[in-house]
Amino acid sequence: MDSIQPQEFLLLIPEIFLATAGMLLLLTGALKTATSYRLCSTVSLAALVGTVVLLVTVQGVPDAPRVILSGMFIVDGYSFFWKLLLLMAATLTVVLSDRFLSDGGYRPAEFYSLILLATTGMLFMASGYSLLSIWISLELMALSSYILAGFFKHERKSNEAALKYFVLGALSSGILVYGISLLYGATGTVQLDLLATAIPGAMASEAGYRLVSVGWLLVAIGLFFKVAAVPFHVWTPDVYEGAPTPVTVFLATASKVASFAILVRIFYQGLPYLQPDWQWVTAGVAAITMIWGNLAALTQSNVKRMLAYSSIAHSGYVLIGVLAATEDGLWAVLFYLFAYTFITIGIFGTVILLERKEYAGETYSDYAGLAQRSPFLAAMMLVFMLALTGLPPTGGFFGKIYLFAAAVESGWLWVAVVGVVTSAISLFYYIGIVVQMYFKDSEEGTPSALHAPGLVSAIAVCAVITGLLGIFPGPLVEFAKRSLVGLL
Amino acid sequence: MFDWVHHVSILSIICYVPLLGALVVIFLFKKEQGERIRKFATGIALVDFLVSIPLWFAFERDGDLFQFRESLAWIETLGVRYEFGIDGIALLLVLLTTLLGVLAFLSSWSAIKVREKEYYVFMLLLQTGMLGVFMAMDFFLFYVFWEVMLVPMYFLIGIWGGPRKLYAAIKFFLYTLVGSVLMLLGILALYFYNSSGLLEFGGLGNPRTFSITQFHDIASQIPPDLQFWIFLAFFVGFAIKVPMFPFHTWLPDAHVEAPTAASVILAGVLLKMGTYGFVRFSLPILPVATWELLPWVVALSIIGIIYGGLVAMAQKDMKKLVAYSSVSHLGFVMLGVFALNGPGLNGGILQMINHGISTGALFLLVGVIYERRHTRMIAEYGGISEQMPMFATIFLIITMSSIGLPVLNGFIGEFTILVGAFNRVWWWALMGAVGIVLGAAYMLWMYQRVFFGPLKNPENKDLKDLNRRELLYLMPLVVLCFWIGLYPRPFFRILEKPVNYIVEICESNQPVADQQVDAGSRPQTSEHSGD
Repeated sequence: MDSIQPQEFLLLIPEIFLATAGMLLLLTGALKTATSYRLCSTVSLAALVGTVVLLVTVQGVPDAPRVILSGMFIVDGYSFFWKLLLLMAATLTVVLSDRFLSDGGYRPAEFYSLILLATTGMLFMASGYSLLSIWISLELMALSSYILAGFFKHERKSNEAALKYFVLGALSSGILVYGISLLYGATGTVQLDLLATAIPGAMASEAGYRLVSVGWLLVAIGLFFKVAAVPFHVWTPDVYEGAPTPVTVFLATASKVASFAILVRIFYQGLPYLQPDWQWVTAGVAAITMIWGNLAALTQSNVKRMLAYSSIAHSGYVLIGVLAATEDGLWAVLFYLFAYTFITIGIFGTVILLERKEYAGETYSDYAGLAQRSPFLAAMMLVFMLALTGLPPTGGFFGKIYLFAAAVESGWLWVAVVGVVTSAISLFYYIGIVVQMYFKDSEEGTPSALHAPGLVSAIAVCAVITGLLGIFPGPLVEFAKRSLVGLL
Repeated sequence: MFDWVHHVSILSIICYVPLLGALVVIFLFKKEQGERIRKFATGIALVDFLVSIPLWFAFERDGDLFQFRESLAWIETLGVRYEFGIDGIALLLVLLTTLLGVLAFLSSWSAIKVREKEYYVFMLLLQTGMLGVFMAMDFFLFYVFWEVMLVPMYFLIGIWGGPRKLYAAIKFFLYTLVGSVLMLLGILALYFYNSSGLLEFGGLGNPRTFSITQFHDIASQIPPDLQFWIFLAFFVGFAIKVPMFPFHTWLPDAHVEAPTAASVILAGVLLKMGTYGFVRFSLPILPVATWELLPWVVALSIIGIIYGGLVAMAQKDMKKLVAYSSVSHLGFVMLGVFALNGPGLNGGILQMINHGISTGALFLLVGVIYERRHTRMIAEYGGISEQMPMFATIFLIITMSSIGLPVLNGFIGEFTILVGAFNRVWWWALMGAVGIVLGAAYMLWMYQRVFFGPLKNPENKDLKDLNRRELLYLMPLVVLCFWIGLYPRPFFRILEKPVNYIVEICESNQPVADQQVDAGSRPQTSEHSGD
């Protein structure tokens, strides 16, 4: 192993910058109790935008993957794609949190610094190249998220969400790290490429075979926990429902994206030898995730809870692309998560606009007559709902088409069949909101949308991206394809 | 004189004029300006119709199969192209769509009083979606339009529909969506078989494409097993749309609840997408499977013809009666198409147009009387021919057209279908004839109960006859009924080439056993009655 060159740290400047900004913000909050919301959110926005700029200049789309810091991290097109998406998701989350927090009277500095630190963890996850660095980055993200989920400390639901999230999150982290230790015991390494070459040899012996088999399965289970795949999803509905809605957005998009980033990285770069095994396991998990997620979403009456189950179902769709184990499947995963992120942020943004006093405004009937009160907001929500169902002309349509096409191409026809049938089922609950918006009249006391230009423009950005991806998916596909260079 | 049509992207213009109109309505009109919006939207529909007329004249009857082609790269990774083009079949359907569009808009003036802005936006979007379906030459593009069109129709039924509108709207949406996602899997299977390979079937190694003509070209190379499965996938998608028995249950609900204009479009155009799908995709791409499954499809069609007729007879609601008559008539179309010979296909396709005209007109007529009395129950009427002589006359003409009386369009279509069916298997024609008798029974019985006899219900005393606007949107359909009934030759002429093309593909893939059975009764493809 080479010794560490100082310039390798230069490549990590974006992450270092973001971490510093997060800690400074935390420090400011501790020293100065009366920090204003506007200041904190502006500083966080500036930090995130600055990180994007640094990221593009320093990491760009590199010609060849660079493994740095003794195999701890890798800087490649794949990590660049995720980092860009994660930073955009974090930025939009900050915009979405603006109005919401200021109503509750909670201290802003902690909130924003936790968002920035969690994002830092995610960026490291995207770059993680050894099981250990991946795990540590994951914990940075997870620990920040636990606190964020319980940020409304005077609300029981928020407390409950944080506790459940923490207990189950810790359990899954434990499973993950246990699996890692078994793999390390069998192969003597945690670096993904070395692991990949060591596994066949390790599996030659009886004991090594057992260690690796149990080890990779535990790692996979830990990862399925993080992406909220059935049957490891039980934490999701409660956490998504109980957490402050901007935090829910963050968990449903950035956190999920980062978890998928490491899942794909570990499967493809660390465990290629076990591909047939993880393909089957992933196929089973994907199928029950799609079926259960969609069926459970059908029965929900709380919009946030419905969206939680829908988010579970969408993890199932993404897993289709993962299990295809082809280039087409992988860029479909990238495309889908990109589209999904903006769709989800747009939807939750609308939920936030309608919310009052932390949790009011989460039932379907709160959307009654929205088309009459705010036609453009309703139209954008309609676009998002169509996109989640997978109807054209939206980005969600192409995302699903690409995933299903990859599954059919690689011979996993039955998974694609489950996918299309459950997509049709999902129409039923997504359309529930559309029915309220367009077919019902507003009742007395139905909340009207907040007047929040920043929020509305964030939603509009998401709607425009969702629509554009539905008409011109080409550029994003090209970008996703280019990002995969060196991964396969 | 019409040369210029070939040099502009005429199809795109026709397809997107309504979309542009919708955008203008969204951004430039306020929702209080109902009057201006309805005039503007109707104007847009009229312009669209006028722009589509030159197609009829510029289309070269003996030229290429597909004309006015436009082709642009769209999604290069998948080989999807933005490709438009129409043959004679699509041409007729495009014209039907633009014409019915204008009439449907006109009929909405008095029927739609709430949320007019949204209504006209959805109607315009619907036009774009439907036109795209008929024009697409790329299977993927076809699918996109096929799905896009669902949403506006869903809203039209769901917002401006009758008492059970929510149920009817979601039923319509779900049924069609389930069908279309399965169709999507069929499309993907075809696509991968053509290019990189599919499961154990291997692949042909052609460049990735969704081009319909490419799929037509490889028809004979697709292994029968694969054809069978793809046919089933397509069948579900198209049969739900047609709708064939037993997938028809969404139709009566949708029709009864939908506002008049949506019913007109639904019956006149949307249902044709199913039969169009069979003609454009199932037959020429999957000929072997078509032959294999022929008895089953025809059996369902015949059941549909007779079942639809019997159920229609039992209806008390005029609109529901017309809806079930659609099931019966579309069964007829399917019978003709799946006779897989010249007369059958010619008749089937012409009958698609005929059904669009006469059923469209019937829904318009029912709408007229519904607006006056707010009921569609047959028992509420009786003897109104004296109050509304003009209405009664037009209703009679359309009734006769729907029954298939000579001189009118329905006769030509049904007769040609029967010739085709007879040439395939003689008793198919017999079953079809039973359907015609049933059709005469339920239509005439309804006519008699509504228009003849004493005027018993005092509320019907003050019924006003048709006004000028109503006459305006009914007359074109009456004229068309007579035109097709008296001189169908131009229509058959324009269908000649595409029909021969499909018949040829089917015949060259006919299983040997079948060929011997009906070698004696091989029909001439250009033979048909009425010219």
